Amino acid sequence: MVNRKAIGYITANYTSKDKSALLESRPLASCPFMGRYRLIDFPLSNMMNAGIRTVGVVLPGNYRSLVDHLGSGREWELDRKKGGLFLLQGSAYGTAKHGLRFLLRDIIANKMMFQRASEPYVVMSATNIVFNMNLSDVIDAHERSGAGITMIYTHADRDVDDATRLNIGDCGRVQAVDHGCPYGDNEFLDCFVISRDVLLDICESYASADYLDLFEAIQDDFGRIDVCSYEFKGLAVGMFNEETYYKRSMEMLNPDIMHQLFTHDRPVMTKAHDVAPAKYATGSNACNSFISAGCHIQGTVRNSILSRDVVVESGASVSNAIIMQSCVIKRGARVDNAIIDKNNVIPANTELRGTPDDTLVVPKVPLS
Amino acid sequence: MSKKECIAMLLAGGQGSRLGALTSKIAKPAVSFGGKFRIIDFSLSNCANSGIDTVGVLTQYRPYQLHEYVGSGRAWDLDEHGAGVSILPPYATQDGGTWYAGTADAITQNLDYIKGHDPAYVLILSGDHLYRMDYRKMLESHIEHGADLTVSVMPVPWEEASRFGIITANPDDGRIEKFTEKPEKPDSNLASMGIYIFSTDILVQALEDDALDQRSSHDFGKDIIPKLLAEGKRLYTYEFHGFWKDVGTISSFHETSMDLLGENPEFDLFDKSFPVMSNDSTRPPHFIGPDGRLDDCLVSNGCRIYGSVKHSILSTDCVVGERAIVEDSVLLPGAIVKDGAHVVRAILGENAIVEEGVKLGSVDSTKDTAVVGNDVVIGKGE
Repeated sequence: MVNRKAIGYITANYTSKDKSALLESRPLASCPFMGRYRLIDFPLSNMMNAGIRTVGVVLPGNYRSLVDHLGSGREWELDRKKGGLFLLQGSAYGTAKHGLRFLLRDIIANKMMFQRASEPYVVMSATNIVFNMNLSDVIDAHERSGAGITMIYTHADRDVDDATRLNIGDCGRVQAVDHGCPYGDNEFLDCFVISRDVLLDICESYASADYLDLFEAIQDDFGRIDVCSYEFKGLAVGMFNEETYYKRSMEMLNPDIMHQLFTHDRPVMTKAHDVAPAKYATGSNACNSFISAGCHIQGTVRNSILSRDVVVESGASVSNAIIMQSCVIKRGARVDNAIIDKNNVIPANTELRGTPDDTLVVPKVPLS
Repeated sequence: MSKKECIAMLLAGGQGSRLGALTSKIAKPAVSFGGKFRIIDFSLSNCANSGIDTVGVLTQYRPYQLHEYVGSGRAWDLDEHGAGVSILPPYATQDGGTWYAGTADAITQNLDYIKGHDPAYVLILSGDHLYRMDYRKMLESHIEHGADLTVSVMPVPWEEASRFGIITANPDDGRIEKFTEKPEKPDSNLASMGIYIFSTDILVQALEDDALDQRSSHDFGKDIIPKLLAEGKRLYTYEFHGFWKDVGTISSFHETSMDLLGENPEFDLFDKSFPVMSNDSTRPPHFIGPDGRLDDCLVSNGCRIYGSVKHSILSTDCVVGERAIVEDSVLLPGAIVKDGAHVVRAILGENAIVEEGVKLGSVDSTKDTAVVGNDVVIGKGE
């Protein structure tokens, strides 16, 4: 069902505060995840499944891979006559900072999108934390409560030093936000519903503080604006640097966990490719792994996630690894505890070995 | 001057009755094949890869899934202004309406579509054949010969020749001398592949004549081609060498599926120079469990494999339970083999379920391949 109540706004111009070879060639929003997805697929799909048909995506400076992935937005029902996908300008500064991911300056720069909309609410989301949630329920709850803002949070399933903690008081009212969220506390999922008139008012009233994040700018006025909270009880997977990206990807190798992200009633959509099914040769040995279409498996694959068109030759062995699109692991090569970015050819009989706590990362190979 | 050089008419209305349970609910061109494809993908991809941007898809038998699948033709990059895919089911007129009575009648009823596009040539295709073919080369040959009709042919083993429409042609220039449907004693082993290129004026004339002929069965192979030949028209062969299969029966469906497996299959689904495109459903990568085993298999997105699978094809979203064994089988999308079940030499229809511990199929290749229809549940004692 098309939702006439809300439009979407995704801040895809943030990166990790830690330097990473994975993010040299792409923004975090287009970082591959679970073989065939990119992180931005999750907020886009949540919005799609809530019936949102107008979404603005704030682009980073290095937007090539992101724009390639988004195309016309068709996969997320966003190639439309009315509404659809809007590519928005964003600032390149401050995008690597800790914590909050809704820079006021970017919101103000794209104010026209909010002025033109007829829908009363805006769902705003970053791309670091992926989850599969029924956002219609949040929009309805926001409407019923009459709040200005409804922030979505979960009880942190570990210490997350780069997430935002919500200090929640009586009746679920948010009293303050601060940086870093310990285990069990209220972890902001970088996703919230805001009434459009409240948003436009903030753009006017706080314009002089546009170098701040939205929530920093309004922090003294939470009570007046009426900032509510909404608890999400499902799985939320936050990825803020290489270490959490690797760990959280490996945790997905449990189907019970994985199925919390990929449900049939709320599908996660992504750009489709014409790739044949994966092919397993006689003598291949694969277990406890996610393997994408187009892969050729002749050797051994264990506890790993493979993107499309990866070749693992016979006698080669891949374990505890994330192998991205079009890599070739040659005969007799061994890869363990590693992330191998796109287009790498690992020569025969070589060994690439990280440790569980110190993952080896091999950067993407540029096309020659 | 024609507006377009060549358009394609794709015959996709047949029931495919010899596929039995697999086509009880959907048309044959919409049957899943090769893991993530449907049979019609191969012809539509050939059109797209050959630069043919206008394709009329003639449908009749249980067309809903087929219509939905083909849609605007976008999945094959065939959604173009003034061109693209048009779905052409039978329709009513002021004089009433009739079903398509034969392959030629289906085209006759859509002559307005052809005339509207005003092409110089019309390519007639079947929506149920598996092959990769660049129709541009066949069209070049048609133009070079100054032909009225070009029939694509391929040599078949002599012992199988009586199953096909057999063409006898002049070995020097390929001009067709004789065409016999399923001859008892073939004098040639060149079989018609059911792929025709007509010069449009010849096609229109032949179809209009045929429509008036009360004795005609309105079939290209049985009526149109013999008649054109008798009239002394210029009919030529275009010889094709390569993989071409009509998966018209359960045994050929099973056998052709198995042909996709192995080290160097004759039909390479992975060939990216002439890709087979499909209307993909976005599903996550497949998962192989801790005790899963895959040996000589094609496995599609969304599958979950906890048991052992050997020499088989798993289509999108199939599940093989713990300790289950699947051998020499084809699982169509959404088929489930539950824990401890044993499936051998079988085709499981879409969303079919084989319950826990059930044994299905036989290794004995003299016995028929086991077939389970779409949505059918096989429990113990069935």
